[in-house]
Amino acid sequence: MTEFPLAALLIWGTVVGLDLASMLQGLFNRPLVAGAVAGVILNDPMAGLRIGLALELFALDVLPVGASRYPDYGAATVAAVAFGAGQAWTAALGPAVLLGLVLAHFGGLTIVLHRRVTAWALARAEAALDRGAPGIAPKIHLAGVLADLIRSAALAAIGLLAAALLKHAPQLDVGTQRALAIVVVAGGFVAVIGGALRRAGSPRRMLWLAGGLALGVLGLGLR
Amino acid sequence: MIGLARTFLRLASLQASWTYERMQGIGIAVAMEPLLVPLAENPDRASAARARSAQYFNAHPFLAGAAVGALARAELDGEPGERILRLRTALSGPLGALGDQLFWAGVVPAAMGLAMLGVTQGYGLGVIALTVLGYNALRIAVTAWGLRIGLAHGIRVAHAISESWLPRAAPRAGDVAAVLIGAAVPMVAAWLLRGSGEPVRASVLVVAGAAALGVLTMRRPLSAPALTVGAAALTLLWRWSAA
Repeated sequence: MTEFPLAALLIWGTVVGLDLASMLQGLFNRPLVAGAVAGVILNDPMAGLRIGLALELFALDVLPVGASRYPDYGAATVAAVAFGAGQAWTAALGPAVLLGLVLAHFGGLTIVLHRRVTAWALARAEAALDRGAPGIAPKIHLAGVLADLIRSAALAAIGLLAAALLKHAPQLDVGTQRALAIVVVAGGFVAVIGGALRRAGSPRRMLWLAGGLALGVLGLGLR
Repeated sequence: MIGLARTFLRLASLQASWTYERMQGIGIAVAMEPLLVPLAENPDRASAARARSAQYFNAHPFLAGAAVGALARAELDGEPGERILRLRTALSGPLGALGDQLFWAGVVPAAMGLAMLGVTQGYGLGVIALTVLGYNALRIAVTAWGLRIGLAHGIRVAHAISESWLPRAAPRAGDVAAVLIGAAVPMVAAWLLRGSGEPVRASVLVVAGAAALGVLTMRRPLSAPALTVGAAALTLLWRWSAA
Protein backbone atom coordinates (compact mmCIF):
# COMPACT_ATOMS: atom_id res chain seq x y z
CA MET A 1 0.00 0.00 0.00
CA THR A 2 2.96 2.33 0.43
CA GLU A 3 3.21 2.59 -3.37
CA PHE A 4 0.22 5.00 -3.34
CA PRO A 5 -0.09 8.43 -1.78
CA LEU A 6 -2.67 6.66 0.33
CA ALA A 7 -4.03 9.52 2.43
CA ALA A 8 -4.64 11.76 -0.60
CA LEU A 9 -6.36 8.98 -2.55
CA LEU A 10 -8.47 8.00 0.45
CA ILE A 11 -9.61 11.60 0.96
CA TRP A 12 -10.35 12.04 -2.75
CA GLY A 13 -12.22 8.70 -2.87
CA THR A 14 -14.32 9.80 0.10
CA VAL A 15 -15.07 13.22 -1.39
CA VAL A 16 -16.24 11.73 -4.69
CA GLY A 17 -18.38 9.20 -2.79
CA LEU A 18 -20.14 12.00 -0.92
CA ASP A 19 -20.63 13.90 -4.18
CA LEU A 20 -22.62 11.03 -5.71
CA ALA A 21 -25.86 11.85 -3.88
CA SER A 22 -25.38 13.32 -0.42
CA MET A 23 -23.41 16.50 -1.07
CA LEU A 24 -23.41 18.96 -3.99
CA GLN A 25 -23.59 16.44 -6.88
CA GLY A 26 -21.10 18.63 -8.72
CA LEU A 27 -19.68 16.09 -11.23
CA PHE A 28 -16.78 15.12 -8.93
CA ASN A 29 -18.15 11.56 -8.84
CA ARG A 30 -18.03 11.26 -12.65
CA PRO A 31 -15.32 8.76 -13.66
CA LEU A 32 -13.60 11.23 -16.00
CA VAL A 33 -13.29 13.84 -13.23
CA ALA A 34 -12.52 11.40 -10.39
CA GLY A 35 -9.99 9.60 -12.61
CA ALA A 36 -8.27 12.77 -13.82
CA VAL A 37 -7.69 14.02 -10.26
CA ALA A 38 -6.56 10.55 -9.10
CA GLY A 39 -4.10 10.53 -12.02
CA VAL A 40 -2.69 13.88 -10.90
CA ILE A 41 -2.36 12.60 -7.31
CA LEU A 42 -0.50 9.55 -8.64
CA ASN A 43 1.66 11.67 -10.95
CA ASP A 44 0.28 9.86 -14.02
CA PRO A 45 -2.44 12.13 -15.44
CA MET A 46 -2.69 10.17 -18.71
CA ALA A 47 -3.59 6.97 -16.86
CA GLY A 48 -6.25 8.92 -14.97
CA LEU A 49 -7.71 10.34 -18.16
CA ARG A 50 -7.67 7.07 -20.09
CA ILE A 51 -9.14 4.87 -17.36
CA GLY A 52 -11.57 7.63 -16.32
CA LEU A 53 -12.71 8.07 -19.91
CA ALA A 54 -13.27 4.33 -20.41
CA LEU A 55 -15.36 4.11 -17.21
CA GLU A 56 -17.22 7.31 -18.15
CA LEU A 57 -18.65 5.44 -21.16
CA PHE A 58 -20.35 3.03 -18.75
CA ALA A 59 -21.45 5.81 -16.37
CA LEU A 60 -23.20 7.67 -19.21
CA ASP A 61 -25.72 4.82 -19.36
CA VAL A 62 -26.81 5.49 -15.77
CA LEU A 63 -29.75 7.74 -14.86
CA PRO A 64 -29.65 8.34 -11.08
CA VAL A 65 -33.36 9.12 -10.78
CA GLY A 66 -35.66 8.71 -7.79
CA ALA A 67 -35.52 5.37 -6.05
CA SER A 68 -33.48 3.66 -8.79
CA ARG A 69 -30.40 1.65 -7.86
CA TYR A 70 -27.23 2.85 -9.48
CA PRO A 71 -23.51 2.04 -9.27
CA ASP A 72 -21.02 4.33 -7.52
CA TYR A 73 -18.29 4.98 -10.07
CA GLY A 74 -16.35 7.61 -8.05
CA ALA A 75 -14.24 5.64 -5.57
CA ALA A 76 -14.20 2.72 -8.05
CA THR A 77 -12.47 4.95 -10.61
CA VAL A 78 -9.97 6.22 -8.01
CA ALA A 79 -9.05 2.59 -7.22
CA ALA A 80 -8.89 1.65 -10.92
CA VAL A 81 -6.49 4.54 -11.60
CA ALA A 82 -4.42 3.59 -8.52
CA PHE A 83 -4.04 0.16 -10.11
CA GLY A 84 -3.31 1.40 -13.63
CA ALA A 85 -0.99 4.33 -12.89
CA GLY A 86 2.64 3.80 -13.80
CA GLN A 87 1.89 0.88 -16.15
CA ALA A 88 1.82 0.77 -19.95
CA TRP A 89 -1.79 1.65 -20.89
CA THR A 90 -2.25 -1.44 -23.05
CA ALA A 91 -1.38 -3.56 -20.03
CA ALA A 92 -3.44 -1.59 -17.53
CA LEU A 93 -6.62 -0.49 -19.35
CA GLY A 94 -8.48 -3.83 -19.42
CA PRO A 95 -7.84 -5.00 -15.84
CA ALA A 96 -8.24 -1.45 -14.44
CA VAL A 97 -11.64 -0.94 -16.07
CA LEU A 98 -12.79 -4.41 -14.98
CA LEU A 99 -11.74 -3.60 -11.41
CA GLY A 100 -13.62 -0.30 -11.66
CA LEU A 101 -16.80 -1.98 -12.92
CA VAL A 102 -16.85 -4.57 -10.13
CA LEU A 103 -16.15 -1.95 -7.45
CA ALA A 104 -18.77 0.43 -8.86
CA HIS A 105 -21.45 -2.23 -8.58
CA PHE A 106 -20.32 -3.15 -5.09
CA GLY A 107 -20.58 0.59 -4.31
CA GLY A 108 -24.16 0.52 -5.59
CA LEU A 109 -24.99 -2.09 -2.95
CA THR A 110 -23.54 0.14 -0.23
CA ILE A 111 -25.90 2.95 -1.31
CA VAL A 112 -28.86 0.68 -0.56
CA LEU A 113 -27.29 -0.11 2.82
CA HIS A 114 -26.89 3.62 3.52
CA ARG A 115 -30.56 4.20 2.74
CA ARG A 116 -31.55 1.39 5.10
CA VAL A 117 -29.43 2.81 7.93
CA THR A 118 -31.08 6.21 7.44
CA ALA A 119 -34.51 4.54 7.36
CA TRP A 120 -33.69 2.82 10.68
CA ALA A 121 -32.83 6.20 12.25
CA LEU A 122 -36.01 7.64 10.73
CA ALA A 123 -38.20 4.85 12.13
CA ARG A 124 -36.92 5.53 15.65
CA ALA A 125 -37.85 9.22 15.36
CA GLU A 126 -41.06 8.94 13.32
CA ALA A 127 -43.50 9.85 16.11
CA ALA A 128 -41.48 12.91 17.16
CA LEU A 129 -41.19 14.00 13.51
CA ASP A 130 -44.95 13.72 13.00
CA ARG A 131 -45.51 15.80 16.15
CA GLY A 132 -43.26 18.50 14.70
CA ALA A 133 -40.74 18.28 17.56
CA PRO A 134 -37.86 20.71 16.94
CA GLY A 135 -34.37 19.49 16.02
CA ILE A 136 -35.38 15.92 15.01
CA ALA A 137 -35.08 16.29 11.22
CA PRO A 138 -31.59 17.88 11.42
CA LYS A 139 -30.43 14.98 13.66
CA ILE A 140 -31.63 12.35 11.16
CA HIS A 141 -30.09 14.36 8.34
CA LEU A 142 -26.74 14.59 10.12
CA ALA A 143 -26.86 10.84 10.75
CA GLY A 144 -27.39 10.40 6.99
CA VAL A 145 -24.38 12.59 6.18
CA LEU A 146 -22.17 10.72 8.67
CA ALA A 147 -23.32 7.33 7.41
CA ASP A 148 -22.50 8.35 3.84
CA LEU A 149 -19.11 9.68 4.94
CA ILE A 150 -18.33 6.29 6.51
CA ARG A 151 -19.72 4.46 3.45
CA SER A 152 -17.61 6.51 1.04
CA ALA A 153 -14.40 6.20 3.11
CA ALA A 154 -14.88 2.44 3.51
CA LEU A 155 -15.55 2.02 -0.20
CA ALA A 156 -12.41 4.01 -1.08
CA ALA A 157 -10.33 1.96 1.36
CA ILE A 158 -11.64 -1.37 0.02
CA GLY A 159 -11.03 -0.20 -3.56
CA LEU A 160 -7.46 0.87 -2.84
CA LEU A 161 -6.76 -2.40 -1.04
CA ALA A 162 -8.08 -4.35 -4.05
CA ALA A 163 -5.94 -2.21 -6.39
CA ALA A 164 -2.82 -2.86 -4.29
CA LEU A 165 -3.45 -6.62 -4.23
CA LEU A 166 -4.11 -6.73 -7.98
CA LYS A 167 -0.93 -4.76 -8.68
CA HIS A 168 1.06 -7.64 -7.17
CA ALA A 169 -0.76 -10.31 -9.22
CA PRO A 170 1.17 -12.01 -12.10
CA GLN A 171 1.22 -9.98 -15.35
CA LEU A 172 -0.92 -11.12 -18.29
CA ASP A 173 0.76 -11.72 -21.66
CA VAL A 174 0.62 -8.93 -24.26
CA GLY A 175 -2.04 -10.64 -26.42
CA THR A 176 -4.40 -11.08 -23.46
CA GLN A 177 -3.81 -7.49 -22.32
CA ARG A 178 -4.75 -6.17 -25.77
CA ALA A 179 -7.78 -8.43 -26.01
CA LEU A 180 -9.03 -7.24 -22.61
CA ALA A 181 -8.50 -3.60 -23.60
CA ILE A 182 -10.64 -4.14 -26.74
CA VAL A 183 -13.32 -5.95 -24.69
CA VAL A 184 -13.67 -3.15 -22.10
CA VAL A 185 -13.68 -0.38 -24.71
CA ALA A 186 -16.30 -2.23 -26.77
CA GLY A 187 -18.36 -2.80 -23.60
CA GLY A 188 -18.14 0.91 -22.86
CA PHE A 189 -19.48 1.73 -26.31
CA VAL A 190 -22.34 -0.74 -25.98
CA ALA A 191 -23.23 1.17 -22.79
CA VAL A 192 -22.91 4.70 -24.14
CA ILE A 193 -24.56 4.04 -27.52
CA GLY A 194 -27.32 1.87 -26.07
CA GLY A 195 -27.98 4.49 -23.38
CA ALA A 196 -27.99 7.39 -25.86
CA LEU A 197 -30.41 5.55 -28.17
CA ARG A 198 -32.81 4.65 -25.35
CA ARG A 199 -32.69 8.19 -23.96
CA ALA A 200 -33.19 9.76 -27.39
CA GLY A 201 -36.75 8.40 -27.55
CA SER A 202 -38.07 10.62 -30.34
CA PRO A 203 -36.99 10.42 -34.02
CA ARG A 204 -35.96 14.10 -33.78
CA ARG A 205 -33.50 13.38 -30.98
CA MET A 206 -32.22 10.33 -32.92
CA LEU A 207 -31.39 12.72 -35.77
CA TRP A 208 -29.40 14.94 -33.41
CA LEU A 209 -27.52 11.87 -32.21
CA ALA A 210 -26.87 10.66 -35.78
CA GLY A 211 -25.73 14.17 -36.74
CA GLY A 212 -23.27 14.22 -33.86
CA LEU A 213 -22.00 10.77 -34.79
CA ALA A 214 -21.48 11.89 -38.39
CA LEU A 215 -19.55 14.95 -37.18
CA GLY A 216 -17.36 12.74 -35.03
CA VAL A 217 -16.62 10.32 -37.86
CA LEU A 218 -15.86 13.27 -40.16
CA GLY A 219 -13.54 14.75 -37.57
CA LEU A 220 -11.79 11.42 -37.23
CA GLY A 221 -11.40 11.08 -40.99
CA LEU A 222 -9.90 14.57 -41.27
CA ARG A 223 -7.18 13.84 -38.72
CA MET B 1 -31.27 37.05 4.59
CA ILE B 2 -29.18 34.81 6.88
CA GLY B 3 -32.03 32.28 6.91
CA LEU B 4 -32.12 32.30 3.11
CA ALA B 5 -28.36 31.72 2.90
CA ARG B 6 -28.61 28.83 5.37
CA THR B 7 -31.44 27.29 3.37
CA PHE B 8 -29.41 27.66 0.19
CA LEU B 9 -26.40 25.91 1.75
CA ARG B 10 -28.57 23.12 3.19
CA LEU B 11 -30.03 22.46 -0.27
CA ALA B 12 -26.55 21.24 -1.30
CA SER B 13 -26.97 18.20 0.97
CA LEU B 14 -30.68 17.64 0.31
CA GLN B 15 -30.37 13.92 -0.41
CA ALA B 16 -28.07 12.91 2.47
CA SER B 17 -31.05 11.51 4.41
CA TRP B 18 -32.86 9.98 1.42
CA THR B 19 -35.00 6.95 2.35
CA TYR B 20 -37.51 4.79 0.49
CA GLU B 21 -40.19 5.86 3.01
CA ARG B 22 -40.02 9.68 2.76
CA MET B 23 -37.48 10.03 -0.05
CA GLN B 24 -36.21 13.66 0.20
CA GLY B 25 -38.71 14.60 2.93
CA ILE B 26 -36.16 14.97 5.75
CA GLY B 27 -33.78 16.96 3.52
CA ILE B 28 -36.63 19.32 2.59
CA ALA B 29 -37.47 19.79 6.30
CA VAL B 30 -33.84 20.60 7.12
CA ALA B 31 -33.58 23.08 4.24
CA MET B 32 -36.90 24.76 5.16
CA GLU B 33 -36.08 25.12 8.86
CA PRO B 34 -34.22 28.48 8.66
CA LEU B 35 -37.08 29.99 6.63
CA LEU B 36 -39.65 28.98 9.27
CA VAL B 37 -37.92 30.88 12.11
CA PRO B 38 -40.57 33.68 12.05
CA LEU B 39 -43.19 31.07 13.10
CA ALA B 40 -41.36 30.51 16.42
CA GLU B 41 -43.61 33.10 18.09
CA ASN B 42 -46.54 30.68 17.63
CA PRO B 43 -45.35 27.23 18.82
CA ASP B 44 -48.44 25.36 17.56
CA ARG B 45 -48.11 26.77 14.04
CA ALA B 46 -44.36 26.11 14.10
CA SER B 47 -44.86 22.46 15.15
CA ALA B 48 -47.52 21.87 12.49
CA ALA B 49 -45.28 23.44 9.83
CA ARG B 50 -42.29 21.32 10.93
CA ALA B 51 -44.38 18.13 10.84
CA ARG B 52 -45.64 18.94 7.32
CA SER B 53 -42.15 19.86 6.10
CA ALA B 54 -40.80 16.36 6.85
CA GLN B 55 -43.48 14.45 4.90
CA TYR B 56 -42.80 12.45 1.74
CA PHE B 57 -41.30 14.48 -1.10
CA ASN B 58 -39.28 13.66 -4.18
CA ALA B 59 -38.12 15.94 -6.99
CA HIS B 60 -34.92 16.70 -8.80
CA PRO B 61 -32.47 17.88 -6.10
CA PHE B 62 -31.37 20.97 -8.07
CA LEU B 63 -34.97 22.17 -8.48
CA ALA B 64 -36.17 21.23 -5.00
CA GLY B 65 -35.33 24.80 -3.92
CA ALA B 66 -38.47 25.94 -5.74
CA ALA B 67 -40.55 23.61 -3.55
CA VAL B 68 -38.70 24.66 -0.38
CA GLY B 69 -39.28 28.34 -1.17
CA ALA B 70 -42.93 27.88 -2.14
CA LEU B 71 -43.78 25.68 0.86
CA ALA B 72 -42.05 28.07 3.28
CA ARG B 73 -43.89 31.06 1.75
CA ALA B 74 -47.21 29.21 2.07
CA GLU B 75 -46.49 28.41 5.75
CA LEU B 76 -45.51 32.03 6.48
CA ASP B 77 -48.62 33.30 4.66
CA GLY B 78 -50.80 31.08 6.88
CA GLU B 79 -52.25 28.94 4.07
CA PRO B 80 -54.37 25.99 5.33
CA GLY B 81 -52.33 22.86 6.10
CA GLU B 82 -54.24 20.67 3.63
CA ARG B 83 -53.57 23.15 0.84
CA ILE B 84 -49.85 23.14 1.67
CA LEU B 85 -49.74 19.33 1.57
CA ARG B 86 -51.56 19.37 -1.78
CA LEU B 87 -48.96 21.84 -3.11
CA ARG B 88 -46.21 19.53 -1.89
CA THR B 89 -47.72 16.58 -3.79
CA ALA B 90 -48.41 18.66 -6.88
CA LEU B 91 -44.82 19.97 -7.13
CA SER B 92 -43.10 16.63 -6.65
CA GLY B 93 -43.74 15.10 -10.09
CA PRO B 94 -43.19 18.12 -12.37
CA LEU B 95 -40.04 19.30 -10.57
CA GLY B 96 -38.70 15.75 -10.79
CA ALA B 97 -39.51 15.29 -14.47
CA LEU B 98 -38.22 18.72 -15.54
CA GLY B 99 -35.03 18.39 -13.52
CA ASP B 100 -34.31 14.86 -14.73
CA GLN B 101 -34.84 15.99 -18.32
CA LEU B 102 -32.73 19.14 -17.91
CA PHE B 103 -29.86 17.78 -15.83
CA TRP B 104 -29.63 13.96 -15.83
CA ALA B 105 -30.61 13.54 -19.51
CA GLY B 106 -29.34 16.91 -20.76
CA VAL B 107 -26.71 19.00 -19.01
CA VAL B 108 -24.74 16.12 -17.39
CA PRO B 109 -24.27 14.04 -20.60
CA ALA B 110 -23.65 17.25 -22.58
CA ALA B 111 -20.98 18.37 -20.11
CA MET B 112 -19.33 14.96 -20.13
CA GLY B 113 -19.56 14.74 -23.93
CA LEU B 114 -17.81 18.11 -24.17
CA ALA B 115 -15.16 17.06 -21.66
CA MET B 116 -14.57 13.78 -23.52
CA LEU B 117 -14.16 15.64 -26.82
CA GLY B 118 -11.74 18.05 -25.15
CA VAL B 119 -9.67 15.21 -23.72
CA THR B 120 -9.39 13.51 -27.12
CA GLN B 121 -8.20 16.83 -28.61
CA GLY B 122 -5.41 17.09 -26.04
CA TYR B 123 -6.94 19.65 -23.65
CA GLY B 124 -7.01 17.07 -20.84
CA LEU B 125 -7.16 18.50 -17.35
CA GLY B 126 -7.98 22.06 -18.46
CA VAL B 127 -11.20 21.11 -20.22
CA ILE B 128 -12.24 18.93 -17.28
CA ALA B 129 -11.64 21.79 -14.81
CA LEU B 130 -13.64 24.20 -17.01
CA THR B 131 -16.48 21.68 -17.37
CA VAL B 132 -16.72 21.16 -13.61
CA LEU B 133 -16.61 24.91 -12.93
CA GLY B 134 -19.23 25.70 -15.58
CA TYR B 135 -21.52 22.90 -14.45
CA ASN B 136 -21.36 23.93 -10.80
CA ALA B 137 -21.97 27.57 -11.68
CA LEU B 138 -25.12 26.48 -13.53
CA ARG B 139 -26.18 24.10 -10.77
CA ILE B 140 -25.82 26.83 -8.11
CA ALA B 141 -27.59 29.42 -10.28
CA VAL B 142 -30.54 27.06 -10.93
CA THR B 143 -30.86 26.20 -7.22
CA ALA B 144 -30.81 29.91 -6.30
CA TRP B 145 -33.35 30.70 -9.04
CA GLY B 146 -35.64 27.93 -7.79
CA LEU B 147 -35.49 29.15 -4.22
CA ARG B 148 -36.17 32.72 -5.33
CA ILE B 149 -39.12 31.86 -7.58
CA GLY B 150 -40.61 29.62 -4.87
CA LEU B 151 -40.39 32.31 -2.19
CA ALA B 152 -41.76 34.96 -4.54
CA HIS B 153 -44.78 33.00 -5.81
CA GLY B 154 -45.66 30.65 -2.93
CA ILE B 155 -48.79 28.64 -3.66
CA ARG B 156 -48.78 29.82 -7.32
CA VAL B 157 -45.23 28.64 -8.02
CA ALA B 158 -46.28 25.95 -10.53
CA HIS B 159 -47.72 28.62 -12.84
CA ALA B 160 -44.58 30.76 -12.46
CA ILE B 161 -42.38 27.78 -13.38
CA SER B 162 -44.54 26.87 -16.38
CA GLU B 163 -44.10 30.47 -17.68
CA SER B 164 -40.35 30.47 -17.10
CA TRP B 165 -37.38 29.39 -19.26
CA LEU B 166 -37.33 25.92 -17.66
CA PRO B 167 -39.91 23.95 -19.71
CA ARG B 168 -38.37 25.21 -22.96
CA ALA B 169 -34.75 24.60 -21.94
CA ALA B 170 -35.19 21.05 -20.67
CA PRO B 171 -35.76 19.29 -24.05
CA ARG B 172 -33.12 21.44 -25.78
CA ALA B 173 -30.49 20.33 -23.28
CA GLY B 174 -31.19 16.74 -24.38
CA ASP B 175 -30.67 17.70 -28.05
CA VAL B 176 -27.31 19.29 -27.24
CA ALA B 177 -26.34 16.21 -25.23
CA ALA B 178 -27.27 13.91 -28.15
CA VAL B 179 -25.03 15.85 -30.57
CA LEU B 180 -22.07 16.01 -28.17
CA ILE B 181 -22.28 12.34 -27.17
CA GLY B 182 -22.67 11.34 -30.84
CA ALA B 183 -19.60 13.37 -31.81
CA ALA B 184 -17.57 12.10 -28.87
CA VAL B 185 -18.17 8.38 -29.57
CA PRO B 186 -15.83 7.90 -32.59
CA MET B 187 -13.26 10.36 -31.21
CA VAL B 188 -13.10 8.54 -27.88
CA ALA B 189 -12.87 5.15 -29.59
CA ALA B 190 -9.89 6.30 -31.65
CA TRP B 191 -8.25 7.94 -28.62
CA LEU B 192 -8.67 4.90 -26.37
CA LEU B 193 -7.48 2.44 -28.99
CA ARG B 194 -4.55 4.54 -30.17
CA GLY B 195 -1.46 2.36 -30.13
CA SER B 196 -3.26 -0.83 -31.01
CA GLY B 197 -1.67 -0.86 -34.49
CA GLU B 198 -4.50 0.32 -36.69
CA PRO B 199 -6.40 2.88 -34.63
CA VAL B 200 -8.94 4.06 -37.23
CA ARG B 201 -9.82 0.57 -38.45
CA ALA B 202 -10.02 -0.83 -34.95
CA SER B 203 -12.10 2.16 -33.83
CA VAL B 204 -14.56 1.84 -36.70
CA LEU B 205 -14.96 -1.89 -36.05
CA VAL B 206 -15.47 -1.44 -32.31
CA VAL B 207 -17.92 1.46 -32.69
CA ALA B 208 -19.86 -0.26 -35.49
CA GLY B 209 -20.15 -3.48 -33.49
CA ALA B 210 -21.16 -1.66 -30.32
CA ALA B 211 -23.67 0.52 -32.21
CA ALA B 212 -25.23 -2.59 -33.75
CA LEU B 213 -25.52 -4.21 -30.33
CA GLY B 214 -26.87 -0.95 -28.88
CA VAL B 215 -29.60 -0.82 -31.57
CA LEU B 216 -30.44 -4.51 -31.15
CA THR B 217 -30.84 -4.14 -27.40
CA MET B 218 -32.72 -0.83 -27.46
CA ARG B 219 -36.05 -2.34 -26.46
CA ARG B 220 -34.61 -4.97 -24.15
CA PRO B 221 -31.63 -3.26 -22.50
CA LEU B 222 -28.80 -5.43 -21.31
CA SER B 223 -26.34 -4.63 -18.56
CA ALA B 224 -23.23 -3.43 -20.40
CA PRO B 225 -21.00 -3.83 -17.30
CA ALA B 226 -22.19 -7.44 -16.80
CA LEU B 227 -21.72 -8.13 -20.52
CA THR B 228 -18.19 -6.68 -20.35
CA VAL B 229 -17.17 -8.67 -17.27
CA GLY B 230 -18.61 -11.83 -18.85
CA ALA B 231 -16.81 -11.21 -22.15
CA ALA B 232 -13.56 -10.52 -20.27
CA ALA B 233 -13.91 -13.81 -18.37
CA LEU B 234 -14.44 -15.68 -21.65
CA THR B 235 -11.42 -13.91 -23.16
CA LEU B 236 -9.24 -14.97 -20.23
CA LEU B 237 -10.52 -18.55 -20.54
CA TRP B 238 -9.86 -18.60 -24.28
CA ARG B 239 -6.34 -17.17 -23.89
CA TRP B 240 -5.57 -19.57 -21.05
CA SER B 241 -6.78 -22.63 -23.00
CA ALA B 242 -4.83 -21.51 -26.09
CA ALA B 243 -1.58 -21.08 -24.14
